[in-house]
Amino acid sequence: MADSLPTEFDVVIIGTGLPESILAAACSRSGQRVLHVDSRSYYGGNWASFSFSGLLSWLKECQQNSNVGEEGTATWQDLIDETEEAITLRKEDATIQHTEVFCYVGQDVEDNVQEVGALQKNPSSVESSILTLDSACLPEERHTSYLTSYEVPGTNTQKSDRELSPEVTDTEEWLEKEKYCEDKTCVYTVSDGEKDENKLRVKDNTDKPKKNRISYSQIVKEGRRFNIDLVSKLLYSQGSLIDLLIKSNVSRYAEFKNVTRILAFREGKVEQVPCSRADVFNSKELTMVEKRMLMKFLTFCLDYEQHPDEYQAFEQCLFSEYLKTKKLTPNLRHFILHSIAMTSESSCSTLDGLKATKTFLQCLGRFGNTPFLFPLYGQGEIPQCFCRMSAVFGGIYCLRHKVQCFVVDRESGRCKAIIDHFGQRINAKYFIVEDSYLSEEACSTVQYRQISRAVLITDQSILKTESDQQVSILIVPPVEPGACAVRVMELCSATMTCMKDTYLVHLTCSSSKTAREDLESVVKKLFTPYAEAEIDKEELTKPQLLWALYFNMRDSSGINRSSYNGLPSNVYVCSGPDCELGNDHAVKQAETLFQEIFPNEEFCPPPPNPEDIIFDGDDKQPEASGTSNIKMAKLESSKESKSLESPGKHFQN
Amino acid sequence: MQAPHREHLYKLLVIGDLGVGKTSIIKRYVHQNFSSHYRATIGVDFALKVLHWDPETVVRLQLWDIAGQERFGNMTRVYYREAMGAFIVFDVTRPATFEAVAKWKNDLDSKLTLPNGKPVSVVLLANKCDQGKDVLLNNGLKMDQFCKEHGFVGWFETSAKENINIDEASRCLVKHILANECDLMESIEPDVVKPHLASPKVVSCSSCAKS
Repeated sequence: MADSLPTEFDVVIIGTGLPESILAAACSRSGQRVLHVDSRSYYGGNWASFSFSGLLSWLKECQQNSNVGEEGTATWQDLIDETEEAITLRKEDATIQHTEVFCYVGQDVEDNVQEVGALQKNPSSVESSILTLDSACLPEERHTSYLTSYEVPGTNTQKSDRELSPEVTDTEEWLEKEKYCEDKTCVYTVSDGEKDENKLRVKDNTDKPKKNRISYSQIVKEGRRFNIDLVSKLLYSQGSLIDLLIKSNVSRYAEFKNVTRILAFREGKVEQVPCSRADVFNSKELTMVEKRMLMKFLTFCLDYEQHPDEYQAFEQCLFSEYLKTKKLTPNLRHFILHSIAMTSESSCSTLDGLKATKTFLQCLGRFGNTPFLFPLYGQGEIPQCFCRMSAVFGGIYCLRHKVQCFVVDRESGRCKAIIDHFGQRINAKYFIVEDSYLSEEACSTVQYRQISRAVLITDQSILKTESDQQVSILIVPPVEPGACAVRVMELCSATMTCMKDTYLVHLTCSSSKTAREDLESVVKKLFTPYAEAEIDKEELTKPQLLWALYFNMRDSSGINRSSYNGLPSNVYVCSGPDCELGNDHAVKQAETLFQEIFPNEEFCPPPPNPEDIIFDGDDKQPEASGTSNIKMAKLESSKESKSLESPGKHFQN
Repeated sequence: MQAPHREHLYKLLVIGDLGVGKTSIIKRYVHQNFSSHYRATIGVDFALKVLHWDPETVVRLQLWDIAGQERFGNMTRVYYREAMGAFIVFDVTRPATFEAVAKWKNDLDSKLTLPNGKPVSVVLLANKCDQGKDVLLNNGLKMDQFCKEHGFVGWFETSAKENINIDEASRCLVKHILANECDLMESIEPDVVKPHLASPKVVSCSSCAKS
């Protein structure tokens, strides 16, 4: 499978996140020889999605990161001569912090459960990840729930799962309840699973009938059904990513689901926000008067620029204040502010609010009833789609490939080469690097923001309807003004991101504390911990939590290139994921960098259709190595790029 | 009984080490030509072959080459996704490429299953058999045993250059896919959005494979 890597390229790209992958596709497409490497064993970096076992392995990696050994790395010092100097790269990833895992469902410890057909990257990972979850609190037999926390060593070492933030009393109580359940089960010491099942069945008859009981081993066994995103984003159906996918025809590799519902959380209740014209008219929650008011306002927002008299006097005001002047009921104001404009009550100006509302409305109806699309199999597919495009156009891909340093020519100050972990020197003209690879020295003056994330596996939707296959987005406004709103995305199994009878819920907000501290209050409002024991009727209406993960991810999207120390001018830096809902930042960054490097090249033009390519049998210029001399396959000239797609040419399953 | 006219569209993968003849096999099969000049696969996702399977059935095959340079075994999931079958190719004149076969098969099975959870059908191709150095294959029984052990549905000695056995290998693979297909119908996912250059629209999968 392996043979030696060529040593001459035009562009070396380090990191396979979204901006780097778009750049790889753009560079390969314009005929550049591209080497695209990632030190990890998977595509996407912090944009990746994982199967359940993959996620557990990832967690383990985050945990062990600080003690990465120097195994097998060749020395590079000898490969650099006097006229050159080296800029070393970071050996481990420091972008993930405060990882904490909570498992609420029962687990058969005896069961040697494994993900069916899983790729065994680290043969030990699947099983040991499960079993090393704080064995101290695992009873010998079947148990209802346990909790544990993975802490990244060195980030918050003094805290263990036994002393979970005593300052948050509210939280503590909730967790206490958990522990209590656990203890109770321990007392019962049900020695075999069957007996336990009987007990459940009895209870099911007394309570309202519950259809599915999901155990931890089921989640592990069906682990491949999960595609758990590290970043939770959507595509605006008129947004720059969709436009780029379509323009470059990378869209042929991707499939999407419409987000089916926009939800709002008001006065402790989840409700659906009517946003299209049909929704508004069909809404049962709104009165006739409200419907008229809402329609009138939304119609105005669609071309608000044409009616400056309507808003000019309020330009300096907050959008939330402006809405109050528009004779809208509190209900409608909440919908518009939080769920349609998705802006903050305390900081968004009238103009920004109107703009956001207009963007939302313009995206409606292009593909469906809401303005958003979600990629089947998760957001992690998108970088891979661009990587495939790059590979199809000659880009060479190496995962698990570490780069030790940049080689810089002292005289010109330009980067000439990289040296990889095999000690191979690879020359190129341009270097693109994701910022997590930059050494601490290069980033010493950089201040990062953080993103707080939670990933939940639940048993029911937060708003039940006849259809159990809804894709929903919900914005939960902050309790105290000035704090950050929490974005909740609920995915059903039809998105190919979770197993049947479960939902995958992503929570995201800009961090002020650790992810759990930032998000747990919202989790508590919407969900209740899974319990086999008696639960009161009110709690039953909430979906139950089966499993939860919290972590903080570094947000480097706002960092200026000039904040990095001592980088050569031909080293270009891409940032990791930002906190926004859309992908505009990554697309814009990729396009800007591409234009900077290749000002005369078109950015991601459509490729020829496979079916329009004629293989010419008598190729008079055979290539020596297949990589050094890149030629475009011939495109039938009669076909123009405009109509590259036709039904059925596409793979449709 | 089935409708009088049926069309199937299958994505097939062609996998194997660098230089074993994957592209040559596809070119021979789809375009009926062969070039001894080596050329990396640039700008090509897949080639389409239309088979008139029987009077009632048309089978369209999309043959996905591994993009020449994803050669370090790091294929994207996009490549594997929704494939219905695969050819794994090795070069009979280079034993190392045969040793990699089991590795490719494991890799494939770990990354791709049919919607019902079963592995996809895979046919093993012993290519360049025209070169007469097929030391590996002098024992057909051994190959049968190998296929059984590693879950291949069959194997063929092929030559893209002499056009030997390529049609036969393909028919074997398609036969297995058709036999598997009936129990897959239920798992088709409705309401999938596929943004296009020409006309953005919602494509329902029930209407797939029509052109």
